Amino acid sequence: MAVKLITNYAKRLGLPGYSSHQFSVSIETELPNLDNVAQDSARLYGSLQEVVDQQIQKTGFVPPDGYGMDGDKTGAWNCSKKQRDLIEKIIAENKLDQTEIEQLATGMFGLRLQQLNKLQASGFIDELLDRHGNGKRNGFRQRRSQRGTGVSKGATA
Amino acid sequence: MIAVADPAAPSVAAEENQPRTIAELTQTVSASRLSTWQRCRLQFYFRYVSGIRKAPSPSLHIGTTVHTVLQQWNLARWHKRQLNIEALKGIFLQAWAIWQDGEQIEWNGKEQSVKSTAWNVLQHYLRNTPIPADEKPQAVEVGVEADLSAHGLPTLVGVIDLVRSGGRIVDFKTSARTPDAKMLAHTTETQTSTYGVLYREATGGKEKGIELHHLIKSKKPKLVVNEFGPVSEAQITRLFHVIEAYVNGLERDDFVPSPGLQCGSCEFFQECRAWR
Repeated sequence: MAVKLITNYAKRLGLPGYSSHQFSVSIETELPNLDNVAQDSARLYGSLQEVVDQQIQKTGFVPPDGYGMDGDKTGAWNCSKKQRDLIEKIIAENKLDQTEIEQLATGMFGLRLQQLNKLQASGFIDELLDRHGNGKRNGFRQRRSQRGTGVSKGATA
Repeated sequence: MIAVADPAAPSVAAEENQPRTIAELTQTVSASRLSTWQRCRLQFYFRYVSGIRKAPSPSLHIGTTVHTVLQQWNLARWHKRQLNIEALKGIFLQAWAIWQDGEQIEWNGKEQSVKSTAWNVLQHYLRNTPIPADEKPQAVEVGVEADLSAHGLPTLVGVIDLVRSGGRIVDFKTSARTPDAKMLAHTTETQTSTYGVLYREATGGKEKGIELHHLIKSKKPKLVVNEFGPVSEAQITRLFHVIEAYVNGLERDDFVPSPGLQCGSCEFFQECRAWR
């Protein structure tokens, strides 16, 4: 009875810019019996490793610094589309004055609303919700949501 | 891609006190979840998978209240509002009451002395903080998230206490003991690396450094500030390996206990002893 030997060798390597790539090769072969399984496995391991090592040296496209951090390209906004949508929703629901909104952004960040990056937009949304959240928040940001998560934010001992 | 954690929606942390599926727990991951999983997988199971609800400990209550006051202090500086010590005391008292509303905290008759300790350490911090009174923050208690799906990893989420002018990330901690400065970089690495990744994703720039402000609740209150440089590539690689191990561990139901010194303060000690 023929014995089926299935081998797989995979390697994953890190690349600059928090990237990684991986490559694997599989071989399925038949052995006449179990007498030389160890030797056959060792031979296949060596062969597969050599093949994978040879190929994985070709890194292909590696993203440069800042890759994928261009934000929402559908408009001139620097924040994400999700943030932009939420800001516009709060403004519309509360019929907020655009000039006042711009003044708030300038006062908080020295920037126009559309120039806010994602970190700034997150803070700006918090501020809008503090002012116009219709009681959805109790004035103390986020903290209650930390309850039940243990000691990570509030206490270390 | 980075996106704000929708403030109108329940946060990841707010949902912890209910049973969660492994699929849900591997969609997003936070420094809290990772740190708990690294500390003890069975504690993680009780807290996040089973969603067992426990009353906050007095230490956690102090931490929550102190954070609230510092949050309001930071917001006031941002908006150039004056908050004198009386106003801050008012916020402290209000937060102390709000955060224990409906909770069964085991004070053992010591609430007043614990409260006094908490206020004393806060006052000490406010008198000795390295943050100038006129320094405008970049962000206060800000929720951010980073989609790591390109790396085959869950979305990373987190809340950063404070980003100081120039991009210095600050995390406030209350502690009973002075931390070992040499060990701190190691023991907090998952958290600090998470902040670094989130900051970079949110701003497109690199953080200037990370500061841990420890408010020590000793008889004579102390403030210990530890400063670290920007998160290194090696640290980010380590973080990604931790996240990968977290996902793999959850997917194979790896929830064995990790007995150690940390068990002395674990709220799931009884459940752990009954575990088979």
